[in-house]
Amino acid sequence: MTSSSLSSTAPASLATRIGGAVSAGVARWGFIAVTVLLIAFFAATEPSFATVDNALGMLKFIAPTAIAGLGVALAMTIGGIDLSVGASAGFAVSISAWTMVIGNQVGGVAILTVLLGGAIIGAVNALLVVVARIPDLLATLTTMFVVVGLKLILVNGQSISSRMTLPDGTTAPGVFTADFLWLDRGRIGPIPVPVILFLVLTALLWFVLEHTRWGRALYAVGANAEAARLAGIRVRTYRAAAYIGCGLLASIAGLLLSARIGQGDVSAGNSLLLDAVAVALVGVSVLGAGKPNAWGTALGAVLIAVMVTGFTMLGLPYYAQDFGKGIVLLVALLFSFTFSRRRVAVTAGSTTTR
Amino acid sequence: MTRRPLILLAAASAAVLGLAGCAQSTSATGSAGEQSSAPAASAAPAPAPFDGDPVKVALVRQSGAGDYFTSWGSGAAAQAESVNIDLTVTDARNDNAKHASDLEQAIASKPDAIIVDHGQTDTIEPLVHQAVDAGIPVVVYDLALNDPEGVIVTSQSDESMAQGVLDQLIEDVGEGAKVGYVSATGYAALDRRAVVWNEVVEENGLEQVFSTGKVTESTATDNIPLVDAALKQNPDVQAIFAPYDEITKGVVQAVNQNNLQDKVKVYGIDISNADIEVITAEGSPWVATSATDPAAVGAAVVRTLALSLAGELDEESVTFPAVTITQDFLAENEITNVTDLREAEPGLLLDDVVTADWLPAVSS
Repeated sequence: MTSSSLSSTAPASLATRIGGAVSAGVARWGFIAVTVLLIAFFAATEPSFATVDNALGMLKFIAPTAIAGLGVALAMTIGGIDLSVGASAGFAVSISAWTMVIGNQVGGVAILTVLLGGAIIGAVNALLVVVARIPDLLATLTTMFVVVGLKLILVNGQSISSRMTLPDGTTAPGVFTADFLWLDRGRIGPIPVPVILFLVLTALLWFVLEHTRWGRALYAVGANAEAARLAGIRVRTYRAAAYIGCGLLASIAGLLLSARIGQGDVSAGNSLLLDAVAVALVGVSVLGAGKPNAWGTALGAVLIAVMVTGFTMLGLPYYAQDFGKGIVLLVALLFSFTFSRRRVAVTAGSTTTR
Repeated sequence: MTRRPLILLAAASAAVLGLAGCAQSTSATGSAGEQSSAPAASAAPAPAPFDGDPVKVALVRQSGAGDYFTSWGSGAAAQAESVNIDLTVTDARNDNAKHASDLEQAIASKPDAIIVDHGQTDTIEPLVHQAVDAGIPVVVYDLALNDPEGVIVTSQSDESMAQGVLDQLIEDVGEGAKVGYVSATGYAALDRRAVVWNEVVEENGLEQVFSTGKVTESTATDNIPLVDAALKQNPDVQAIFAPYDEITKGVVQAVNQNNLQDKVKVYGIDISNADIEVITAEGSPWVATSATDPAAVGAAVVRTLALSLAGELDEESVTFPAVTITQDFLAENEITNVTDLREAEPGLLLDDVVTADWLPAVSS
């Protein structure tokens, strides 16, 4: 029996109502308050923190994580989860390098190849979850291993770099092209390209989820697939679309990583998964939304960037940063699951659903 | 049940978060101080810019994990402390994308200088030039640059490491011997060592009967099957050069597995406590290796930066010499770990490399 159902049946005492209002406020604004306080603290103690350069730098640094996080948020809208985002991003890094360096293609071809690869990985996830009816946690975990392995097989376990020496002693014909590197190193006006991609993709996902019929349908499928089916929503199509969208977003994150590293680093993307899932989970709690959403995910990513940068400027080692990240995530989860009046519709790991 | 306990819990957790933040920041500053021993009293007053406020330097590392990198970092921190440098360290944990971001953010924070420790050329070089263009002095360590213009390049001298060990190899097995080579390509240090190897093979008419090897997340283990196969194919090989200690350990295991430890001599590069144990083990085939003291090297990189900021550095490229260590030397001096070795072989301390009267070597 929850307190919200109590207060709706019994006449609420003044104290209960004030308590309710405060807790709603905490749930809604607590997370924003933590972010603002951290920013204020770092701005006050570290003179180089509150500069335009640093703000853009932080957004650029976190853009791949944020975009992969948007993908996870999309998969979460239909009650799923995608554990293969890091693998998809890593796959994108190696495939883009392979296309340009070994295949000697221009950057545009590499980008298209990568996006196609991301969509295929998403489609495989969709097949496993929707058609083969494997629980999503297990299906995407399996995909993760397969994709990481496939990537290593394709590149013989090697990082591909511009003009590398091939096993037969010849020099690879291609290089990372300037237009491809522009994805990370370029700017439009004063704004770095990854920051623009980050904002545009966030706005796009927000628009789709909040202002289109498709968005309503995705949430409806996540809240209650059976009811959605009875209401005439093509549940399987929407679930498949969410996974394919997630694969695409993860591969875009991989493109940014690839352009940033400037070579087909085989270990790239490995660290992306947990951060992406974390920012999507934080996104659920921001503003008391209680459901996966685009701007919340973006804010979660910004908070992680603020913490990592600020803690680094303070001179904290990385393990203290992980601890800080964990605490903030914990507080975020307390806000959304424990203090929120709304029932939270995250059913990540729907291994328990029928 | 009212919601008040929950609000209290929320307030408490927020407070804990706040406290945790404070406590962490203070303890971190404290431990940074503790890591370095009391700085040696400088013999002479320091010149500008070290005579005023602390000089802010960003140390941007590709990895800080493992014996080697940890002591490199503590050596650098100790030297920085002694010369009034406020060192901000980032560790990308081998994530090259993060290494690039760390360097970008270091540039954005406009420090007085930047040290870049290791890194991938394609990833890091454009950013190094960006930093130089922004007027920030840059020192790189063990990072191959295509265009080192305006950058101070430091490295441990891979040439001297490889040459010293290979001189020993030639002395032991003579010209025209059958030799094997176990290494990987694509790593700046290993590529430089390969150049020396190829020259030595050429000059001494060595017959290279196999070449294999790779670097992975568990290099030592993953090289055993490769070398095992190569040894089964060529059991008459007399010496194996494996110019990276993780690989060398795998080679030693493979040689032992094939019961060839009396016939095959193994030559490595680098040293650690674990390596010394392997080398001094009864009947070990690993007869010589080359060593630098990572803490001394980390400190020397910081000294290079300090000399350069004070306008007293004449060269744009500094290499730190290595010392060849033989199995016999370790046995004679009963050396069991790197600390013993440092005492027995003072050449490792680099205390006459890039120093000044105001800048003595401090590495622990």
